[in-house]
Amino acid sequence: MTLAVILKQVPDVVEELAIDPSGTDLDRDSVSYVVNEFDEHALEEALLLREATGEDVVVVGVDTTGELDQALYTALAKGAQRAVKLVGDVEGSWLSTRALAGLLAPVIRELSPRLVLTGVQAPDDLDGQLAPTLGALLDWPHTGVVVGTELADGLVRVRKELWGGIMLDLELATPAVLGIQAARATPRYVPVGRVRQAMRESTIEEVEVETPVESAPKLSRLRAPEAAGRAEMLTGSPSDVVERILEILRARGLY
Amino acid sequence: MLTTPERIAFLLLALASLLLTLRGVRLIVRAIGRGYGRPSWGVFLRRVIPVSLDILLQRPIFRTRPLVSLLHAGVFFAFVFYGLVNVLDLLEGFNGYSTLHASGVASAYNLVADLLSVAALLGMLGLLLRRFGLRPFRFNRAVFLLPSVRFGISRDSAIVGGFILLHVGSRWAGQAVRIAESGRPDWSQPTASLLARLLGGLDAATLAVASHATWWLALGLILVFLPYFPYSKHIHLFMAPLNLILREEKPLGRLEPPVGNGQLGSARLEELRWYQILDAYACIMCNRCQDVCPAHGTGRALSPAALEINKRYYLNRNLNRFAGGTTSPPLLETATSRAAVWSCTTCGACVRICPVGNRPMLDLIDLRRSLVFAGDELDPNLQAALESLSRYGNSFGKPARQRARWARDLPFPVKDARKEPVEYLWFVGDFASFDPRMQENTKTVAQLFHQAGVDFGILYEDEWNSGNDVRRVGEEGLFELLAEHNLAVLGKARFRAIVTTDPHSYNALRNEYSALGLDVPVYHYTEVLAELLERGQLRPSKRLQAVATYHDPCYLGRYNRITAAPRRVIRALGLELREMPRHGENTYCCGAGGGQIWMDSGGQERPSEQRIREAIALGEDVRFFVVACPKDMAMYSDAVKTTGYEQRLTVIDVARLVAWATGLIELEREAAPVSE
Repeated sequence: MTLAVILKQVPDVVEELAIDPSGTDLDRDSVSYVVNEFDEHALEEALLLREATGEDVVVVGVDTTGELDQALYTALAKGAQRAVKLVGDVEGSWLSTRALAGLLAPVIRELSPRLVLTGVQAPDDLDGQLAPTLGALLDWPHTGVVVGTELADGLVRVRKELWGGIMLDLELATPAVLGIQAARATPRYVPVGRVRQAMRESTIEEVEVETPVESAPKLSRLRAPEAAGRAEMLTGSPSDVVERILEILRARGLY
Repeated sequence: MLTTPERIAFLLLALASLLLTLRGVRLIVRAIGRGYGRPSWGVFLRRVIPVSLDILLQRPIFRTRPLVSLLHAGVFFAFVFYGLVNVLDLLEGFNGYSTLHASGVASAYNLVADLLSVAALLGMLGLLLRRFGLRPFRFNRAVFLLPSVRFGISRDSAIVGGFILLHVGSRWAGQAVRIAESGRPDWSQPTASLLARLLGGLDAATLAVASHATWWLALGLILVFLPYFPYSKHIHLFMAPLNLILREEKPLGRLEPPVGNGQLGSARLEELRWYQILDAYACIMCNRCQDVCPAHGTGRALSPAALEINKRYYLNRNLNRFAGGTTSPPLLETATSRAAVWSCTTCGACVRICPVGNRPMLDLIDLRRSLVFAGDELDPNLQAALESLSRYGNSFGKPARQRARWARDLPFPVKDARKEPVEYLWFVGDFASFDPRMQENTKTVAQLFHQAGVDFGILYEDEWNSGNDVRRVGEEGLFELLAEHNLAVLGKARFRAIVTTDPHSYNALRNEYSALGLDVPVYHYTEVLAELLERGQLRPSKRLQAVATYHDPCYLGRYNRITAAPRRVIRALGLELREMPRHGENTYCCGAGGGQIWMDSGGQERPSEQRIREAIALGEDVRFFVVACPKDMAMYSDAVKTTGYEQRLTVIDVARLVAWATGLIELEREAAPVSE
């Protein structure tokens, strides 16, 4: 049996992002990509499960950046057994989460894994829709915000984080789709030598796909964040501070 | 003269003894042969004479502990001479040849043998008294020792010491007996003659028995001791010179790639190189390496001595099996611990001080390589640094494009060495580029170069970390990646020489990159500053009147022997330089090297704090703690605060002092005790 992990590349926000002159896209020439941080945790959780149960780990991704190989080879170097890359005219486009799930679902169904693990969210999927959408398309049980997993006979035990530090332990029938918030351990370091070895010795399987035609909101304009106003610290006695606050509110016509 | 039965007994004993010894030696040769690589006989031929001279002069031993070294010299010279003495004594036993009461060359021989016997006896007694009376050999509690080691070291030292005392003592006493038998003193053997006077009262029969007994105790004892010799630390007699002679003449700052396709590293004894196994046999267990080790000195689990001693005791106990080719257990179960492996600062002090030429630091780096490649869990900060280095080319998690941001604040543009030819290509280094505390220094260096009219440029975002410390934490693949990038960029730039701020980058460029094909002169900025001052291109307008001490960075002072240039700068400014006890090539590590700067030290006191105390002990009037390494600046600025000496001692980069003297910058608090 296998565990499928979905990897997605997102722009590296450590680098300065620039907007393309069209105003509706990032300047792709200056963008560099990293694997979505939560997906790194999904992979780590899958590798931990593999160490406990001996399942094969398959990493799957849609190559929208043209650079997905690097991420897949890194995953192979970390201990995944197979890597599947969905290629086609999707390269160079931003896929909506729904479109992404639509492309992945048939490929994943064919892999018939025991579990599908993906990051709970991504910078372009802040609502964390990937796991539920995939679950719905595959008609498999799903849950998100997962911080721990354990495989048992015919089911997976999942620890899910709720609010205020409350944890919820769930059991899902397998196959199931999980949105991973955090792996049980920090995602492991993979030495560069191992990645180079994987690049020499492993192959990435390719599946041709076509960009789905879908009705989706159309992006009209991207904007850089506006500089926030400066904070002013009020000091002095409480009554002085109160006076000052009233003054500020009055000046803005709020009082 | 021996009786015939005695002669037969001796010959039979000799045969048995030699056969047993030969077997032991053959096992050792096979054990060492299990290591990777082979000694080069070309190296042997080139080095055998100069290194033998060094050893005859006892130079590697006298690097430290002068008194103990003197005791050792007594035993050493006696043993060298006893090679001849034993042969002549053998002749005496078998055909009666004697130099007693002889004249000429023979009397000179007698005198030397007589005096050296006493020197060896006194030396050995002194060494034994020190070892067992003063008990100077202790290990930190956290240090891993094989169970057989703790008692084994004492036992083996006692056996070897006892053997030397008995062997030399019996020979000396035997001469006294023969002098007493002759009835008159032999003036060529003054000390034996003195002893003979005490024996004067004994009758001839007793003396005859004593003559035979002492001969057997002197020479027969060798035959008894010989089979034990390969298992004893006395074997350093041969292994230490071999180790010193066969050492390749390459800089300590140039590592060899890991064994096993250049990736795997060494997790087991047989995965080390041949000379790393030889190290265990050369080790005399003097613990000098441990005394200078900053990790051991701050209570951590590392003792380079314990590493070699454990290897040796493992080999002693398992020599048959190991020499036969059995897979040995991991070194982390037999020689050292994970904690020890990760506390090494790669300062090289152990390598420099070792009198027998051992390099325990290399074992630790090879162990790190095997841990990293096997995916062993890393210190989280180290992991973050490595991930950042592989992604952005720096350990700060900053985009490469921000590397030269400091240069924006300068009143002049800094040339882009990728686009136009320059005389000096300035390889700035990570800390000098990204650490906000160091950027002021970096700007100062740039301004000094500019003021002096130096034609220089930088690589902007194409300079990546040199990989010096990356290689030393065992991430060979990442080192290759960084080096390949830098070499490609350097290959396209046009320049005469490289100048670096960071001694670690200096070491990588000078020693590691040169092995990868870089062939240009590399200078440290202190060398350039010294020359600019001496040629008058930088003119100090003020003289700094204060007492300063200077800290030699390990990768500058010890690894690359650049100790004069920074001192020339300090003196040129008028400062009085007062040296710390550990300076120059004997400098003490700040604790940041070998990747420690990215790890949680976990030690008690930090080496940098000990170092500040060392400077403080130089006197109330020492005002400046001068550094020439961005990492030192970071380490000692912290240490001077945590030790509470911030008001007394100012940690300052040598470039800042130059800039102040030339009127380029104003120093605030620092300037207080300095007058023009």
